[in-house]
Amino acid sequence: MSVQVPWSVLPDYRCFGCSPHNPHGLRLAFHPRPDGLLARFTLDRGFESYPGVVHGGLVGVICDETIGNLIVLERHKPAFTVSMRTRFVTPLLVGREYRCVATLRADGEELFHGSAEVLDADGGVCATASAVYQPFALDQVRHQLTLDDAEVDLLSRAINPTAINPR
Amino acid sequence: MTTSLTEITATVTGIAAAEIGVPAAELAPETDLRGVEGVDSVKVLRMIAKIEREFDIELEDEDVFGVSTVAEVAAVVEKALGAK
Repeated sequence: MSVQVPWSVLPDYRCFGCSPHNPHGLRLAFHPRPDGLLARFTLDRGFESYPGVVHGGLVGVICDETIGNLIVLERHKPAFTVSMRTRFVTPLLVGREYRCVATLRADGEELFHGSAEVLDADGGVCATASAVYQPFALDQVRHQLTLDDAEVDLLSRAINPTAINPR
Repeated sequence: MTTSLTEITATVTGIAAAEIGVPAAELAPETDLRGVEGVDSVKVLRMIAKIEREFDIELEDEDVFGVSTVAEVAAVVEKALGAK
């Protein structure tokens, strides 16, 4: 069963990586794992680079997306990616299923360190990524996000349901 | 905490053996990993990716494509650990 990401409380969120409402997006769904988060994906020719090969930039998007959602689900804070490094081991092929597994380093409060692996059906590593994220408070980035007050409240409660004043 | 070159070499040997499918006992520090029968560039890169995760390091691409032996891999790992 897939896990519900906090953004899904916004009826029309358009995240390129995980929204089911974005017709051009990847529509990733996430599954909890004991040590992190997993996303299975199969990309069609709309995401092609060389003929038959998935565009490499999308590998980064998928790793970033899986790590980012792991952060918000586990640490209850949204975060911006501040740096990311991807190692491409072998090309991903159009029409094949792969899985991305993200994990977080235990340390870090001001910055979160995450990593991800993209694996083929046989468990072979196709790509790895490591990235650093800076958490933010929704209130502090209001000038960058197109959210009204009601949406900020709704999203804040979804991100951190146990906080007395999540904003 | 520092990791000695001997420990690094042992870990690299174990990962290399698993990735290229030979017993660790068959790999010596001077073994040319790219010269082992059946080893291709993907196997080498998978080995490097595993090593990076194991040590929580990011190796320079020039180092990745410049190393061949177990000892050379261990040396660039040691260098990366020293830079952390």
